[in-house]
Amino acid sequence: MTLAIDARGVGKVFGAGALAFRALDAVDFQVTPGELVMLVGPSGSGKTTLLSILGCVLTATEGELRLFGERVSGRPERELPVLRRALIGFVFQGHNLIGALSARDNVRLVLESRGTTAHAARAEADALLAAVGLADKRDRLPAELSGGQRQRVAIARALAGSPPLVLADEPTAALDAHAGLEVTELLTRMCRERGTTVVVVTHDNRIFHLADRIVHIEDGRIVDGRLSGVAA
Amino acid sequence: MTVDVAARLRAARGGRLRRAQATIVVALRMMLHDKAKLIGTTLGVVFAVVLAAQQLGVLFGLLQKNTMFVDNAGADLWIVPPGTTQTAPGQRMSTALLDQARATPGVAVAAPLLMIGTSVTKPGGGSEATTLVGFDLATGLGGPWNVVAGDVAALRAPDALFFEDAQREKFGGLNLGSVREVGGHKVRVVGFTWGLQPFGPPFSFADIDTVRDLGAVPADQLSFVLIKLAPGADRAAVAADLAARCPTATVIATPTFHATIVSTLLRQQLGITFGTSTAFGLIIGFIIVALSMFSAVLDNLREYGTLKAIGLTSWDLTRMLVVQSIVYALLGSLIGLGLVALMSAGIRGPNLIVIVPRTLVLATPIIMTVLCMLASVLALRRVRRLEPGMVFR
Ligand SMILES: Nc1ncnc2c1ncn2[C@@H]1O[C@H](COP(=O)(O)OP(=O)(O)O)[C@@H](O)[C@H]1O
Ligand SMILES: [Mg+2]
Repeated sequence: MTLAIDARGVGKVFGAGALAFRALDAVDFQVTPGELVMLVGPSGSGKTTLLSILGCVLTATEGELRLFGERVSGRPERELPVLRRALIGFVFQGHNLIGALSARDNVRLVLESRGTTAHAARAEADALLAAVGLADKRDRLPAELSGGQRQRVAIARALAGSPPLVLADEPTAALDAHAGLEVTELLTRMCRERGTTVVVVTHDNRIFHLADRIVHIEDGRIVDGRLSGVAA
Repeated sequence: MTVDVAARLRAARGGRLRRAQATIVVALRMMLHDKAKLIGTTLGVVFAVVLAAQQLGVLFGLLQKNTMFVDNAGADLWIVPPGTTQTAPGQRMSTALLDQARATPGVAVAAPLLMIGTSVTKPGGGSEATTLVGFDLATGLGGPWNVVAGDVAALRAPDALFFEDAQREKFGGLNLGSVREVGGHKVRVVGFTWGLQPFGPPFSFADIDTVRDLGAVPADQLSFVLIKLAPGADRAAVAADLAARCPTATVIATPTFHATIVSTLLRQQLGITFGTSTAFGLIIGFIIVALSMFSAVLDNLREYGTLKAIGLTSWDLTRMLVVQSIVYALLGSLIGLGLVALMSAGIRGPNLIVIVPRTLVLATPIIMTVLCMLASVLALRRVRRLEPGMVFR
């Protein structure tokens, strides 16, 4: 079986010389297709750094990364946007929607930037917004939506174009407990329906029960929750 | 779920056109969303256009005042005293040049022109300077143009003069038939021109013999010889032939004379003054546009980072800023040129005219587009350097 995520010996050092700081140290991180993994650990432990490397927005200083069998490490910088468009949907801590665009156009932008025609993009955006329960809010600007609603638009955007991998960094951090749980439930449900592989960074223990597996990271090292049966 | 990575990568590599269109739309939406920045940046362009076009317009107006006589005298070639850089009273030459010119093959007409600086005594006392042009009535070369009252033929009378309509008040309320005094002789107004406002004292016109009498100029002197070529004659060849026959004078083609006047003025104070203020307008506009585009990018840094994270390339973002630059340039040029048109209509008086030639109108949006694109470089550098990973911070 091809792993969805196969990171081996991944390390990241920020800066150089006396200021060099090792944020990740020989991280092995494997996720099977369709699995929903939560990455937990104290603040500053390297969760965001690892997620950024998995999301091809940051390059590791050592180790090897494959996504769905496709080698990521060692690729030229200009190839990374292609990988992101092809494989990855993001949900950020803040919603990170484009303030000038309506909910629908935020979702459409992702589709059209992947080559979908305007008509098809509109239809898919509307279907996704309906699926996150915002059919009647699709023409609203982000500023006209509540925090929970914005994060639901962000989920619709992350799932636009059906990426096989969705990465979410503390998606509930800006929400109250109730909205946070609701949004995570929505994300999990939609990803399970689609068979999408998901990695959620969180330290919100109220949503832990939604995960297939919980991986603990401390001081840039994975300390618990390794996938069993993977040859090191 | 099995994932066909190869197919997804292939799809992600394609769709460039859609992506280009999508980014252009986003660029425009982002621009329109921040109204304050939109207005600020556009005003920067408007400022540059108004100041630069306005200064150039006034400059062109002043140049036109200096070249109008050459442009309207009707000559193909001029014989002028050596070193001449303007059409104004100056050093005189011998009428013998006329015979030499007339004997030159390819010359159809050689007419004398006499320009003297003199003054008109007003009825209530006091006097006003004028550039009195004496021309050859038979050929009309160098005579009045834009005649709005009277008949040029009336200048045959020995005391008859044409004046400029806009200067009627200045010369004490001139009308057809008004009598004034020039050089101790009574003269009569028999016609008016319209819009002949040179840089120096206003033109008045009379038959060349009248001007000789009024200015006490010897009969064998003239200021310029105006040449009309025979049909089919080669201007350059005739000019060379004339130059050989008239070694004490300079033979110059009309377009060259025009260019000489313009370049002489531009090299002097006029060019420096207007060049500086035009450049000043462009530089201020450049700074305003550069700063406001940069601050618009700083305001939206997270959004640009997000666009990168979802897979837009640095080139996609570059295209966005270029599109914004072009829109700012076109919008600002349109508004700016509109204002310049209004202002020049307001300024247009007898002594100052603003000329905004068609080429300047057409060049403005192009120059402004280049200016705005250069001004966006600061913003562009910031956007291109942006790490997509910043969106997780
Ligand atoms: N760009 C960077 N330059 C220097 N140090 C960084 C940078 N990004 C993160 N770090 C450091 O790496 C460590 C891990 O950060 P991060 O991955 O954001 O942790 P987490 O998401 O678990 O809170 C922290 O100590 C942080 O200060
Ligand atoms: Mg973090």
